[in-house]
Formats: sequence, C-alpha cells, structure tokens
Amino acid sequence: MKYMILTYASQQDYDAMAGRPSGDTAWSPQDFAAMGAFMEAFNRELNESGELVETRALAPPVHTRRLQTRAGAPVVTDGPFAETTEVLAGYWIVECESFDRATAIAVRLSACPGPSEVVARAFADVRPIIESRDDLEP
Amino acid sequence: MPETEIEGLLRRLAPQALGAVVRRYGHFDTAEDATQEALLAAATRWPEDGIPANPRAWLITVASRRLTDLLRSEQARQRRENAVVQRMLPEEWLAPAADRATADSDDTLILLCMCCHPSLSAASQIALTLRAVGGLTTAEVARAFLVPEATMTRRITRAKQAIKASGIPFRMPSAPEWTERLAAVLHVLYLIFNEGYASTSGPELHRAELATEAIRLARMLHGFLPDDAEVAGLLALMLLTDARRAARTGPDGDLVPMAEQDRRLWNADQVAEGVALITEALPRGPTGPYQLQAAIAAVHDEAPNADATDWPQIVALFELLMGMSDNPVVALNHAVAVAMAQGPERGLELLGGLQADERIAQDHRLHGVRAHLLEMAGDREGARASYLEAARGAVNPARRRYLHSRAARLG
Repeated sequence: MKYMILTYASQQDYDAMAGRPSGDTAWSPQDFAAMGAFMEAFNRELNESGELVETRALAPPVHTRRLQTRAGAPVVTDGPFAETTEVLAGYWIVECESFDRATAIAVRLSACPGPSEVVARAFADVRPIIESRDDLEP
Repeated sequence: MPETEIEGLLRRLAPQALGAVVRRYGHFDTAEDATQEALLAAATRWPEDGIPANPRAWLITVASRRLTDLLRSEQARQRRENAVVQRMLPEEWLAPAADRATADSDDTLILLCMCCHPSLSAASQIALTLRAVGGLTTAEVARAFLVPEATMTRRITRAKQAIKASGIPFRMPSAPEWTERLAAVLHVLYLIFNEGYASTSGPELHRAELATEAIRLARMLHGFLPDDAEVAGLLALMLLTDARRAARTGPDGDLVPMAEQDRRLWNADQVAEGVALITEALPRGPTGPYQLQAAIAAVHDEAPNADATDWPQIVALFELLMGMSDNPVVALNHAVAVAMAQGPERGLELLGGLQADERIAQDHRLHGVRAHLLEMAGDREGARASYLEAARGAVNPARRRYLHSRAARLG
C-alpha cells in the first residue's frame, strides 16, 4: 500500500530558512546543514528498506501559479498565498505494509533538527493513496 | 448457497476483512464496528443477491466506506465539543519494524495478538477475540457467556478503548515479544475451549458451540503456524478432549466419569486427528504443556477400555508437566494417575501433601479425588463423607448431582 507523507511551510518559513529574518528566527548555516544531513540520512534509510517510492521538496510558495476558470476562460494568479499561510513544502511517497508503518516513518521526521520555534510549529500529515478508481466509486 | 455456508464463509473472512481495513486505515476500534456492519450487510444481502465474485473485496470495500462515515461523524462530534483527540505515540512507534516480513495471512495473527494484548483482562481478551477474529456478534458472545448483551457491549467497548489507549501499532510483534504474545493467544483459545467444555453453569447447547469455535480458531492458527509444536499440541488437546463429548453426559444430562463412559460414543475421527497431530508434534519439540496434556488425553483415548489405560505412561507425562509449572490441579491429577498405577494408598499419600497447599486445600476437586481413592481403598464411610464434602463446594449442578449419587451408593 502507498501513503503520502506531507510537510508544510509558509513563505515566511522559507525566507527564514534562507537566512533572511522575517518575524521569526533566521536559520544559521549550521542549522541548515544539520537539517540537510538529517534528510539525506532519512531518505537513504528509506531507500535501503525499499519503502521509498519518491520524495521531492517544493520551491518557495511565491513561485506558485494558481489556475482557475473564470467565465469559461483560464485565469492564472501568481503567488496566491499570504506570507504566513502554510502550504505544501515537500512530500514522500512510501510503499509499506500498513498505515501504522507509514506513520512510524513520518514520526521519525519529528527528530529533524532546526530552530526551536520552527520545530515547535512543524507538522506532517500522512494520507493513504488511492490506487485506482475502484477505491473512489460509491 | 445455503445460509449456513454463507455464515461459515463470513466467519472465515471476518478477520481478513478487518485486518485489511485496519492495515490500510488504522482505527482498530472503529474499524471493528465498521467490519461488523459489513458482515451484517452481507448476511442480509448475499442470500438474496447471491455471493459477489470477490466476497473478501466486497467486505473490505463496504467496511472501508462505513469506516469513513463513522470517522466523519466521530470527528464532527469532536469538533462540536471542541475536543479533538490527540494521543501520544509510545516509544514503540520509533522502534524499527519487525524483522519478519508480513504476508496477507498474517492479518489474522496480528489481530489475535492485539485481542490478547496484556493490557486486557482475560474476560476481555476472550470476548474481543470471539468478536474481532471469530466474527461472532456481541449478542452471540453474550449468549455464550450467559451475560446480558449490554454487559458484553460494555466489555468489548472497554477492551477496544484499552487497545487504542495502549497505542499498539498494527504489525507483527517483534521477535523478542512474539513468544510471549503467542503464549497469550494460546491461553485465550484454551480458556474459550474450557468455558465451552467444562461449563460451570447454564444450558449445554451454547457452551458446546464455544468449544467448537475454539477448535475452529486453533485449527486456523495451526494452518498459519504448522511448524509450531505447541499450537499443534493445543489443537490436539482440544480434539482429543472434545472427542469424548457425547459420552460425557448421560441421558439426564448427568456427568459420566471417564472410566464409565461408553467408548463407542467417542468421536473416532477426532481421536485419530488428535493422535496424528500430537504424534507428529512431540518429536519436533520443544515440548510444552499443551503437548503434554494432549499426550495424556491421547493415552486415554487410545485405550480400548478403562482397564487397559496405560497409567504408568500417564504418571510419567504428569511428572514432566509438574516439572514445567507449579500447578496444584496438575499435582491433583498426578495423584489420581499414581493411585491408578500403584494403588490408592500411594495416591492418598500424595493428597496428604497437597492438603498443605492453600491454593487447593479447600477445592471441591481435592475432596472429590479423595472420595474416589478412599472408595478404591475400601473405606466406604470415609469416601461417603468426602463425596458429600465435595458436593458442598461444587458449583456445576450436574457435578453436584453426580457427587451426591456416588455418596448415596455408599450410604
């Protein structure tokens, strides 16, 4: 069974991570390096256990294009989020034996190092992936 | 397909469907309710509409949808009450996964281990196992245990809450835990069997169904773990004991002691299956208490008549069993076997030693055995007094009638 682990951040979080103070503690280069090392090890372990399908991080929210239909015509909005709105920042797709196992994998992300205010606010979601249309049919 | 066949199919599929739903979505407690509702829907619709092409998938789909509905209303209620549930995940979640890869058939094993979780009382383990793994409804479990349905509902609900609170993940126990958890599962199945077989009260019919259900579950477990000698031993013990069921009660429902049973009434197929199982399991080892008890039952079942019983062999098996656990009931049975092999005086000597064990000194079974041995030794007056003493302490009405009739015969 496949599950998606999702993590979130706001534009402000992205800015702080890039070392630009913006209402929050800025990350030091050491903080950033520690997080990078943690994520590399985390991904390597998942790869070795054969449970990782793929993982990606997303560019800052400011680079988002939102597409909608207005009066039958496609309309695009650039950077539609407020500075403090938390949006998808990265994801992992894992294939493992159970929801509980996927949750146990996501729990390990709680050990990711970072400035304490950021760690206190951080969260992740785990969601089962729909494998086929049958799963959705009423 | 007749309805009894549909029921059999549903009972087999029940733990598989529940396992699949919990594996995918978690929420053991709510998923268990959802699966019961799916089973109920199937029991109503399949006899009319026919059995779907893939009945297991049908149950999983219906149970998953029902789970979604139940979770939504539960979460909406919690939001209304501003009481979003948060739980701390215990250390267990940070531990690596079990080193044993899980197969689909393991779902039932995982469920059995969850239902027999050490945080639950034996009564709760039994009730939850019968419902979640056995696929019985709460009403059926309540009837089997002669308690009101509302009581059983509360017992099962509390048990599920305890499992939820324990935060145990849905997976095979890790290797160091496994031995202990399997022992708990075997003990629960053994208790279910005994509840049915050695019923302490109530109408015979429902109790016999419990013994049959225990055999079904033990047979299923043996199918998953064919190389485990104690699992085979437990199944053999149940079969060899249950084989005597028809001979065990007389026409009036009175108990008939083994020595006086009509052995033609014993179920020869069950005896043969039990003997084959234990014969194969014993040399494989390691030898455990269920195998020894099965071996004792096999010695009894293989004797063409009571006088031909190989008592020295039974004495030896009981001595092995006593070496494994300090159980006064085993010691009591050992004393009986010694009396049969070496004469009542030797047995009575051993009873004298047991008299000092306060766990059994007041037990009616001790007095019952003493009465038999005194009768064998020719002490009619002493035997009569002991039979009456035993009858005063016995709970089972059939057993009391039996003890009184023995006393009256000596009067």
